[in-house]
Amino acid sequence: MSKWFASLQADFEQTFIAADRWKSLIKGLGVTLEITLLALLIGVMLGVLVAVIRSSYDQMAAQKKSNGLLSVLNGLCKLYLTVIRGTPVMVQLLIMYFVILANSTNTVLTAVLTFGINTGAYVAEIVRSGIMSIDAGQMEAGRSLGLNYVQTMWHIIIPQAVKNILPALGNEFIALLKETSIVNVIGMKDITKWAINVQGRTYQAFMPFIGIALVYLVMVIILSKLVNLLERRLRSSER
Amino acid sequence: MSADILIKVENLEKVFTGKTTVRALDGVSAEICRGEVVVVIGPSGSGKSTFLRCLNLLEMPTAGSVVFEGTDITDPAVDINLHRQKMGMVFQHFNLFPHMTILENMTLAPMKLLKKSKADAEAQAKALLERVGLADRANAYPSQLSGGQKQRVAIVRSLCMDPEVMLFDEPTSALDPEMVGEVLDVMKELAREGMTMVVVTHEMGFAREVGDRVLFMADGKLLEEGTPEEIFGHPQNARLQDFLAKVL
Repeated sequence: MSKWFASLQADFEQTFIAADRWKSLIKGLGVTLEITLLALLIGVMLGVLVAVIRSSYDQMAAQKKSNGLLSVLNGLCKLYLTVIRGTPVMVQLLIMYFVILANSTNTVLTAVLTFGINTGAYVAEIVRSGIMSIDAGQMEAGRSLGLNYVQTMWHIIIPQAVKNILPALGNEFIALLKETSIVNVIGMKDITKWAINVQGRTYQAFMPFIGIALVYLVMVIILSKLVNLLERRLRSSER
Repeated sequence: MSADILIKVENLEKVFTGKTTVRALDGVSAEICRGEVVVVIGPSGSGKSTFLRCLNLLEMPTAGSVVFEGTDITDPAVDINLHRQKMGMVFQHFNLFPHMTILENMTLAPMKLLKKSKADAEAQAKALLERVGLADRANAYPSQLSGGQKQRVAIVRSLCMDPEVMLFDEPTSALDPEMVGEVLDVMKELAREGMTMVVVTHEMGFAREVGDRVLFMADGKLLEEGTPEEIFGHPQNARLQDFLAKVL
């Protein structure tokens, strides 16, 4: 038992302490978080935009009105959703790196754009479900006061929708954080790449991989706690 | 009645096309004069709510025109948002904004649209709340209010925009019986102050007491109109006689 424990300790030292590997782990953590947070920002903005376009189009269609620009935008949004949700994010990352941004050496930009655009597609459908969950009377009340469509969306519909979709958004954010673990295919040194490198140097697999699994786990736990906290704060304003 | 016409509706038609085609409004023409209280009655499904919702274009009529203050607002070139600011609307289900306090519900539109300062908008909102006896609930959320209180807030929320006309879409139908009175009292006071009102309701007592004119609708048509005495005392149309026999 004590022998096993001693060997575990030796593994630990070799993996994290030797050659100051913990420093590169922290750098890798920075890369993972940077990509996640920036992609989250892009994803939410893109998602809300697409969701608003899609639901306005649906509402117009329900009233049998037509608007050329909105129809075109809606078509573009549908194409975007189909392509992005229909292909693996790994393939999207490779296309972004080797085809679309082939001349760029900025891998952070490549990764952030890829994951932002990917997350946006999922967030769009989540936000749209939130918008649809709000009673039509809310839109009517806003419009009857003289607020225009966008003002009513922004001040009345979206705040209530966000409250309803927070759990689903939390899920999406967790998925995004974990999906960034594939960025090593374009040569980025995130924590997964760190573990692969350490394993290559030390021939230890257990400690580096279990180690980063725990790091991911802790990050996800913190993220879910934050989402829960936000959820409770938003709910408390109501009663 | 003065001839100062505020809203003039001509040959209004609304056809809902879907699996089945419903002719909700079938050539309705009417005039609403300034300072007048017009009550619209009729059996359910008669098109009276659709008529009211066409007045501020929450429902887009399929034919006909709605002229408000001399402008045909069914013209697509007209900025309907500007005209809606002057047409307050009160809904059957209140439609307060649940994520905002009562005060925020009331000050949102005046601040965004009339560019009032927060202080001005809040002062006006508080004065109105005082009038309907809800000054102490200014910082409550809608879920903390009773139905009657919610509807009184909905009325003063519309009044914050200083409208020319108030449209009421069955304002007491979703209320518990003991709360109907408090909402009708607010509406009566509004009428006394000279507010132009169009009220769709099943409250025949209110129609008789407060209405200057009563419109009777059935099957999407305006079948009879007149003073409350004429409508309730000497109904001409057979459908109206039948309707009154059932509700009175």
